[in-house]
Amino acid sequence: MATQNKEPGPDDILRPILNTSKWYYVAFGAASAVVVVFLAAWSYQLENGLIVTNLGDWGSGGGVTWGMYIGAFIWWVGIAHGGIILSAAVRLFGMDKYQPVARMAELLTLGALSMAGMYIVIHTGRPDRLVLSVIPSYPWTVQSSPLAWDITVITLYFVMTATYLGLTLRYDIYRLRDRLPDHFDLLYRFILIGYSEKEDKIIERMVWWLALGIIVMAPLLLHGGVIPWLFSVLPSMPGWSGAIQGPQFLTIALTSAISGVIILSYVCRWAYDWQHVFTDEMFRGLTKWLGLFGLLFVWLQLQQIINGVFAADVAAEQVMVAKLEQPVYIIAMGTMVVVLGYIFAQALDKRVFSLNRSLVASIAVLYATLSEKILFVVEGLQYPQFDLYANVPGTYIPSPVELASLAGTLALCTLFFLVIIKLFPVVELHAVEGHDDGDGGGDGGDEEVTA
Amino acid sequence: MSTDESTDNDEPRHPYETDESFHPMGKEWEDQMREELEETDYDADLGMEMAKDAQRLVAGEISEKEFYQSYHDDVQEEFEVDDRPLFEDLDGVDPSDFDDDQSMFEALKDIDLEADDVSRRDMMKKMGAGAAFLTYGAYATQQNGRSDEVPQLVENLQTKEKNREHRWGMVIDLERCDGCLSCVSGCINENGTSTGANWMYVFAYVNEDTDQANFLVRPCQHCSNAPCEKVCPVRARHTREKDGLVLTNYETCIGCRYCQVACPYGVNYFQWGEPDTDLSELEHLEMRPEKVRSMDFDERKEALQTAAEDGDHIYDERGWWTDSRPPTGVMGKCTMCPSRQDDHTESPQGTVACQDACDEAGMSAIHFGDLEDEDSRPNRYLRKRSENVEENDRHFNDEDVVEGEDPDMWESTTNWGRLSSFKLLEDLNTQPNITYLGNEPGPNDKQVDPAEIREDPEKLDTPVSYEDLTGQDRWGNQVVDNRKEHLDYGPSGPPEEEA
Repeated sequence: MATQNKEPGPDDILRPILNTSKWYYVAFGAASAVVVVFLAAWSYQLENGLIVTNLGDWGSGGGVTWGMYIGAFIWWVGIAHGGIILSAAVRLFGMDKYQPVARMAELLTLGALSMAGMYIVIHTGRPDRLVLSVIPSYPWTVQSSPLAWDITVITLYFVMTATYLGLTLRYDIYRLRDRLPDHFDLLYRFILIGYSEKEDKIIERMVWWLALGIIVMAPLLLHGGVIPWLFSVLPSMPGWSGAIQGPQFLTIALTSAISGVIILSYVCRWAYDWQHVFTDEMFRGLTKWLGLFGLLFVWLQLQQIINGVFAADVAAEQVMVAKLEQPVYIIAMGTMVVVLGYIFAQALDKRVFSLNRSLVASIAVLYATLSEKILFVVEGLQYPQFDLYANVPGTYIPSPVELASLAGTLALCTLFFLVIIKLFPVVELHAVEGHDDGDGGGDGGDEEVTA
Repeated sequence: MSTDESTDNDEPRHPYETDESFHPMGKEWEDQMREELEETDYDADLGMEMAKDAQRLVAGEISEKEFYQSYHDDVQEEFEVDDRPLFEDLDGVDPSDFDDDQSMFEALKDIDLEADDVSRRDMMKKMGAGAAFLTYGAYATQQNGRSDEVPQLVENLQTKEKNREHRWGMVIDLERCDGCLSCVSGCINENGTSTGANWMYVFAYVNEDTDQANFLVRPCQHCSNAPCEKVCPVRARHTREKDGLVLTNYETCIGCRYCQVACPYGVNYFQWGEPDTDLSELEHLEMRPEKVRSMDFDERKEALQTAAEDGDHIYDERGWWTDSRPPTGVMGKCTMCPSRQDDHTESPQGTVACQDACDEAGMSAIHFGDLEDEDSRPNRYLRKRSENVEENDRHFNDEDVVEGEDPDMWESTTNWGRLSSFKLLEDLNTQPNITYLGNEPGPNDKQVDPAEIREDPEKLDTPVSYEDLTGQDRWGNQVVDNRKEHLDYGPSGPPEEEA
């Protein structure tokens, strides 16, 4: 345990690949079991249609047509977008302290984006038509449909993140190749196609520019733009419409992503004795960032509440009053306040900080953001501008099939990490070979490691 | 007109015509067209000029007569008689003979461009300049849904109004509605919709101040600026250019339900599970939709009319599956009976099932028709009602004049008298095509709980509840007001005794 002062090295980052504990199998087995349950539930849905959910038609129908599937979709996209922004910031601003988690954040982005994409498939009534309907009409729909923009952005970020990851992996794999297991030789050879040491500097620059691109596009194309536009541009639902959704979504995304990274690093540190790789100092820093973005999240909620209750028009007031009376919302916001209390207390007094507390805070934050997202979708639909119908607001409680999808995507994402962690280092070689690249150069490292 | 390349800046332009290119598909397309023409032995400049003017002709900016007269001599001069089979038919035609009904455009359209099984490129080489026009002419006729190979790019760029023959809509007189739900039943009977999918929905709501009950008749508003269409990621929800109907292509809809979310009126009903009415009851054509679409216009029309004798009306004239109830996993809503508007069924064009039922019930609150036709039923109704109101207005004045008061103070000063009309949520800029006569619901008004009416039918003098409609249509479908309660039974449906 007393390894905090030990210098991290390549041995550390290779440990997950070379050693497999019983806990690994337990986690793998448990996650697989959940995935099987989810797949069974989904098959049931595919066979019978979306009637197996608790969704319904809004209006005379007395239901909500979007529910947990869309709520969870935007939550996953948020985590993904936050993750890539985090990693880009680390690279762009040379935040060396967080370099050990940069790749973890990128992997989180890939995992979470895949889950979001999966939710699009789960959510639609005719997933069999997705390809043949979306692609031929794409040149037109991309001009008008926010959902087409969404698909575009998810694809774009998947490609960008995968490129990012692929580029930085080459450096590591090349240098660690003879210590990596041979049964994945094909994969490593694929990753290393055309590699030469001369490319390192170029790749460094490419990654820097990619990071710049991601940061610049974040407000517009990521969770600050396209995803909230799915809702904010519709005047039919007063709970959704409004320009504040852009910044609100972005802060929720960043808050969720930092929580996700804290949880992942905590588990890895526990499993692989990475106390000297993921230091207490790093966790404290991440916790502070969580506090900052959490504060922004709560601040923007407050803005909306004030606007919704002070002198709002009828429809806008109805949705806000309903939200404030909703226990799910009260619990979510209460959780955020408690978490923020802890974070600011630990910022003032180091002794308040503990790893476990930060872990609990992160889990709590993810719960709060998920429930806020689902509630945002559901209540938005329950309080439409045209609320003459007696059956409005309808009722909605997710069905077992819907809940299974949430458990299933969490398990799938876990499986994704469990597989990845056996394939290549989830901590960059750069991060453990001496902090040398504060100026974005990274060339010092090149010379040091020739093994 | 000369073959001079220079363009007069004062010439009328198309909405899509840019400095770079006159063609809606852009400069690249135009250049390619020119290249192909230059490979022929004919005058490419003439061809391009003709193509350009053909676009103006399509857009209605020059008349066919003008167009033909401009090129008649040029074409005569340019083409050898034997080398221009397509123009032979035109030799004897006197341009001055053309009137609106029998046009050269129509004549050209009838030439079967696909008969020779030649590629467009070959055809252009063969026919030279004239083909540039004809190719576009073919596109233009496809605009009217007369061909299967609709080049969607062109379709998309054309301004919608240009090709519109009708603008279907309704005037609904709420003061004539007593909530008998005949229209609801008529709609279910026509379309075979599932339990709770009340495409036509009629309900009573109470005004806070007066405590007076009013009825609202709520079909789809068939908006001219439909938000549901805008958000659709696959263009399944679309506005039919020909007549402004907002329809769903049941074959491409992916069931994302974004249209339902964007629609401010709540008129969409998703097919959550198996439809109550089996497809075999709706369709006896025994043809795949692709087969229907592959037919030419007349062939298809005949097939669909024959099918309609068996009660089929699931395809519109484009061969798109847009009518009757949707299949599983697809969005449905009021269609305004496109098969009727395409003249496939025995029910005449310009009628809808709900209106028929309303008339039959002796209420005549629904008036459907072409809103752009001054003499259509809704427009005539609107005129007549406003005249009546004005008369009553005056009549009322005479009776109520009190000595010493100015009799004019009672009189309306507008042409419309006191006729109260409104469109639902007009300020959301959806441009609905339903005009209501009667009281507009206020922001705090609320529908009377249907359960209350069920328990106490006397409450509103409406003895009919949705549940009462069960089994009244030809499918024998169950009818309910609150669909959620029904959906909660899950895929197996409600227990026997309740169904």
